[in-house]
Amino acid sequence: MATMEQLTLQLRETAREILESKKAAAVIGWEKGTFWYTTTPVVLTKPEDTERLVWNEYCLNNLAKYLLDFQHSNEKVAIFARGCDSRGINRLIQDKQIDRDKVLIIGLACPGMKDDKKARELGQNADIPLAKKCQECAYPDALVYDLWIGEPKEVAKPVPEAKVFPEVEAIEQMTPDDKYASFAANYEKCLRCYACRNVCPACNCKECIFGNSSKEWSAKANNLSENMFFALTRALHVAGRCIQCGECERICPVNIPIMLLNKKIIQDIDRLFGPYEAGLDPEDKMPLGSFEFTDPEEFM
Amino acid sequence: MSVNEALDPKASAQTPEDWQPKILVFACNWCTYAGADLTGLSRLQYPATVRILRVPCSGRVNPQFVIKAFQKGVDAVLVCGCHPGDCHYTTGNYYTRRRFLLMRRLMEYIGLEPERLQARWISAAEAPKFQQVITEVTEQIRALGPNRKLRDVQWQQWNS
Repeated sequence: MATMEQLTLQLRETAREILESKKAAAVIGWEKGTFWYTTTPVVLTKPEDTERLVWNEYCLNNLAKYLLDFQHSNEKVAIFARGCDSRGINRLIQDKQIDRDKVLIIGLACPGMKDDKKARELGQNADIPLAKKCQECAYPDALVYDLWIGEPKEVAKPVPEAKVFPEVEAIEQMTPDDKYASFAANYEKCLRCYACRNVCPACNCKECIFGNSSKEWSAKANNLSENMFFALTRALHVAGRCIQCGECERICPVNIPIMLLNKKIIQDIDRLFGPYEAGLDPEDKMPLGSFEFTDPEEFM
Repeated sequence: MSVNEALDPKASAQTPEDWQPKILVFACNWCTYAGADLTGLSRLQYPATVRILRVPCSGRVNPQFVIKAFQKGVDAVLVCGCHPGDCHYTTGNYYTRRRFLLMRRLMEYIGLEPERLQARWISAAEAPKFQQVITEVTEQIRALGPNRKLRDVQWQQWNS
């Protein structure tokens, strides 16, 4: 097994080769951040800059969303992708935001990333746990790729499994008032900074209803009602498209468990319309963009 | 509105004597709206608690509309369309069915009482069904009392 340091060198080598041979106009990867426990996404266009690339245990950002920056360019873009990035790329392809032919995907196997907030608390010598989104990850390795870095491996087409979320089931057991109180306590904190929307690969609308207050869908006032409107609307906008990368929850500055809503929808789609996992195959039928005559009937 | 305000028992004690539920009905132009019309033409009585909003198809009802309605102070939302197979646009209501199967569960999950968001198929010929559904939903909401969850503070005067 190659260590991550060795793989970093391979990443740089691959990126340099791609840029020098002009196989792609830019490479999207990670570079070192301000602290030892941070990295930041980077877009490189010059071969000599590829020395900045890193691959370590804190490459937490999902890179897929940065492809939208090249949505209207004619150039091909290379991107490093683990499981979550590759599902994000599939998401964008399925949503017709980007063209598969214009992306060069360099696949990686992901060992799971560490929790940067815990790292800041515990310090460099402590045993840092995996990030929450990585603990729950079902597909650590790139699902789609053109090149592969690391141990070569066979990636079989994954079959979606029935999902069980204990935290969702715990809420389902509560009384309506308790449920509302717990969600209200979370969303009272919301700053509506829209970081969750900005980081989400499924939130790829050119114009977002929350980006334009003149449409009067949402006011600027920061109160529980508006915050819940935002949370529920966003959850329903990404319903059936959420790839469970958990970026929204990781990025939230006030630590709202945003995935509670998304997981509930994912679980219900599973139970009502059959097992489905978003972002595995861009050719899949979308659960809310399709229907069956045999769907459950409750509205008679 | 703070959590405490939303769930304050004192606030519910303030429910006025003459409080009537406010129910928003999304009615599809081709079936339910015509059904509601027939209910009136047939002189079938139903509670005057509903506000009917005509939409071209039940598939037009965006989940945003529903949440916005709760924000603005309705006590319940009823989404009505043609029976599956009868959609004027062939398949619109099949999408509605999937969407609201999910949305009802989500709204229940965040703590809204399931009675407050309902969906029904009512055809243009089903005047008695329209009458019965409206009566039924009104009774359920009357038992639950005014809805405060999701409501925006500026529309808090439910009896206005």
